[in-house]
Amino acid sequence: MKKRVLIVDDVEMNREMLYEILKDEYYVIQAENGVKALEYIEDESNEIAVVLLDLVMPELDGFGVLREMNKKNLQDRIPVLVISGDNYSETEEKCFDYGISDFISKPYYDNVVKKRIRNLVDLFQHKNRLEEKVVEQNIILKEQNLLLMEQTEKLKQNNIEIIDVLGTVVESRNLESGEHIKRVKGFSKILAEKLMELYPEYGLTKENVEMISVASALHDIGKIAIPDNVLLKPGRLTDEEFECMKSHSVKGCEILVNIKDIWDGEYSRLSYEICRHHHERYDGRGYPDGLSGEDIPISAQIVSVADVYDALVSERVYKKAFSKEEAFNMILNGECGVFSPKLLRCFRESRERLERLADKNKEKFT
Amino acid sequence: MTIEECYEALEGDYSQAKVRLHSDAIIKKFVLKFPAQCGYDALCKAVEEEDYKAAFGAAHTLKGVCMNLNFTKLGESSSKLTELLRDGYSEEVPSLFEQVKEDYKQAVDAINSLT
Repeated sequence: MKKRVLIVDDVEMNREMLYEILKDEYYVIQAENGVKALEYIEDESNEIAVVLLDLVMPELDGFGVLREMNKKNLQDRIPVLVISGDNYSETEEKCFDYGISDFISKPYYDNVVKKRIRNLVDLFQHKNRLEEKVVEQNIILKEQNLLLMEQTEKLKQNNIEIIDVLGTVVESRNLESGEHIKRVKGFSKILAEKLMELYPEYGLTKENVEMISVASALHDIGKIAIPDNVLLKPGRLTDEEFECMKSHSVKGCEILVNIKDIWDGEYSRLSYEICRHHHERYDGRGYPDGLSGEDIPISAQIVSVADVYDALVSERVYKKAFSKEEAFNMILNGECGVFSPKLLRCFRESRERLERLADKNKEKFT
Repeated sequence: MTIEECYEALEGDYSQAKVRLHSDAIIKKFVLKFPAQCGYDALCKAVEEEDYKAAFGAAHTLKGVCMNLNFTKLGESSSKLTELLRDGYSEEVPSLFEQVKEDYKQAVDAINSLT
């Protein structure tokens, strides 16, 4: 199919002369003023491949046409070649400032005009095709990104569901109420948020905080492997029984390692850290690995304070609940083992929120 | 009168016109259209009415058509008039306009003698 050239000139003879040059190679459309020209250009179904534009015309002159085209960025798609009798560099420069693609002075040579037009048409055809391709690829990319985001969200939900399912197993096995898990989650979140605010060096983000809180649900998963006579014993444990009880952190890890094939990633890693190390202490006197200081993963440090605090303010088979005041002081005095000074500061500065949550939960049970 | 003789009579550049437009037939076709389409009548009317903006447009058209046809002499005088009129009226306009009139008559006489 022949490409379409629009010739815009008020003098019929001038249009005719260009028509003579172009008629074999192109489908030629003629407009005798700027207004008519714009009608052709703006109607996309005309598929104008190039505009040959005169400058001095009645109705709307060449610069008027260029102005209107620029308002709609039409020169991005359709090249304009000005053919003018003005052989002044200012006129030519002004035309280029208006974004034209080429300028030809009268009298012109038909072969040169032909070649310049062919160059422009080819160049713009190529450019337009490339741009269309970029647009198409952008759409595909956006769709894929959306899909990826959906899948990421799904994966995240899956992770949370796995943790919930495993958490429920712990609840069903452990007579300490399943509410303990929810409270530790809440306390962990409060402490982690404070830590994020006060100590940016840990690099915690809102998302990390949320993940630590969710993963904390599995801190005692190992307790499902502890015999009832030890786990549910109301009185004081013997040394041997206590050692058995302490094994829950390692046993929990074994469970998590066993499902590693189907459950991997950040949630799995965090759950493992928390499960294994939530009984470590900052001075190295905790278990199972005797880690000290910042060797203890920060997730486990957070959950260990949350866990101890909850144990203190709750009633257990073997003990009554301490008051919030007592629990607060016991942790700060180191009566429940040594914690990181940074975490203790977070604990101190979160006192109000922690106690509000403790009260809220107590109301539920009384 | 042949087309070549016609160019000689109106002091145009036949050889250039031939290079650009290739055939005598095409040159002749456009040359014959010249009197009706060159904008000369509009120029006379605009000057008479002292509408120098319209005169500029008409002179510009005349100049453009002359360039397309390689009518050198009329092209030069109309080109000068166009530039003069670009800034509106000036004292030199009447004399230059007379020159254009003269050159135009020379061109039209030549065209009318074409066989």
